[in-house]
Amino acid sequence: MDILLLIWMIVAALGAVSIYTFIGFIPGTDETSVLLPISLALVLTGVDPMIILSFFIAAIVTLNLTNTMPTALVGLPGGVMSSPMVEHAITIKNQGKSADIIKKMATASALGVIISVPLALLVANILTPFADVITPYTSYIFIGGAIFLSLTGKHKVVALLSIIPLALVFQSLRQLYWGLDVVPSTVNVTISFFLGITVGPLLFSLFELLNSSIYKQFKVDKHKDIIVPKASDESSSLVPTKILSKEEIQHAGIGATISNFFFMLSPVGLTILIGNSIGNRYDDKETKASMSITSMSAIVQATYLSGIIIPLLALGIPLSPVAIGPGAALFNAEPVFSLNNNIHHILSFWQFSFATILGAVIAVVIGYYIINRYARTITTFIMKYIPHESVLGLFIAFIILLAFMDAGLINVFGVLLVGFVSGSFHKLGVNYGVQFMALYAAPYLANLLAGI
Amino acid sequence: MKEHLIEIWGDVVDSKELLLSIIIITITTMGVYLLSPEASRTTGLFFGLGGAVIGFLITVFLFKPKRKVTQEGEHD
Repeated sequence: MDILLLIWMIVAALGAVSIYTFIGFIPGTDETSVLLPISLALVLTGVDPMIILSFFIAAIVTLNLTNTMPTALVGLPGGVMSSPMVEHAITIKNQGKSADIIKKMATASALGVIISVPLALLVANILTPFADVITPYTSYIFIGGAIFLSLTGKHKVVALLSIIPLALVFQSLRQLYWGLDVVPSTVNVTISFFLGITVGPLLFSLFELLNSSIYKQFKVDKHKDIIVPKASDESSSLVPTKILSKEEIQHAGIGATISNFFFMLSPVGLTILIGNSIGNRYDDKETKASMSITSMSAIVQATYLSGIIIPLLALGIPLSPVAIGPGAALFNAEPVFSLNNNIHHILSFWQFSFATILGAVIAVVIGYYIINRYARTITTFIMKYIPHESVLGLFIAFIILLAFMDAGLINVFGVLLVGFVSGSFHKLGVNYGVQFMALYAAPYLANLLAGI
Repeated sequence: MKEHLIEIWGDVVDSKELLLSIIIITITTMGVYLLSPEASRTTGLFFGLGGAVIGFLITVFLFKPKRKVTQEGEHD
């Protein structure tokens, strides 16, 4: 392999680590909204796919690792994936043990990466021969996926009922843009719709603020109290086996291993399901919280890594919530990647594995060190100086930018509509996975209905 | 100045400052995007993201977080 390419892969991974360490520590930074625009920008530069892959893997590993820090230290979730941990984090914080638990979480998280990268590559390799069998049925798989994710979610009926209306919203906007010659009929506006779904709940809440009677319900009369826990007095060993007990290692390991085989399920859902079932085996409140949160840290990494590695390496079709959301640019980013020509088609198994492992190793090593040494300092800095207003403003600006780039001013309002519809469905309990699948199934579903 | 505090997405913000942040960051993002020299998607996206960072930093300097941060063990 070319030395220059290797250097660029390392640079890309280091870049991802520095960008996403910062972003991860900021509470409320939704994974899809922060991963998609930057990875899309990188894909569109047309650089070697191995560089893109190293960047993306390093980005998700770093983000999943650092997102857990504000959660553990101050009880504000760093992102969507760490929201299931908040409850347990607060239990531990009240016991005054936050400083110890962040080390455990970082170690479990690293363990999750070490287990799931090789395992996901292996599962993908086993599935690869079936790719040609599966590919012709892609549209059916997306519909099946939407139904499947609806049935495994909490609010099954509303989720099922939302699939076709959502698909119609997406497809009618596309038809409108084609009809008005806003975009050529070969272009399927997709990326901005993704982000519209992702920021939907936020957009919906912002709309609610404009209604004065609902606004009153949001009102609070004082600033948010944030207490940053003391530093740990114990020795600051970085040896994993000294940080985690044997039992914790086992649970984190088992959790991560199981999650790999359910890559097509919602990562948040899986984290809650598996993490809590491990925690629930303990009666003591503190042990329960500590077991749940360490195994969840490992599971989060496993769900994300398997969710991107398996569909991308084996099939080239975004068949998991991770692939279809945050990882979308790796599958479909016209004109560089399309569903018929993306990383799956371009890279060999060994190229893919090398780029993945390189990105993961760089991110784990640096992230692990940073967290063990500087987690408190960085969290305190962010809490003191980065206002939530700026973060929310940034999300809205991202979405307007990508909407405008996809199909001009009309699409800014189109995406507003998408966000509003998705946000209200989300509020009713339809999770992101179902909505993303509906987006992919939209062209087929619309044609199917019209033909009946 | 009178504060208009609301709790949204797990944290407390001032609704006036939130509105201003959205406006400022959107203007810098779209402004810098429209300044990009070529019509290429890639350059445009980079310019836009750069503009977003500028706007983000402006609002970070303009507005203070609505959080009361204390270190554990310190006297309040």
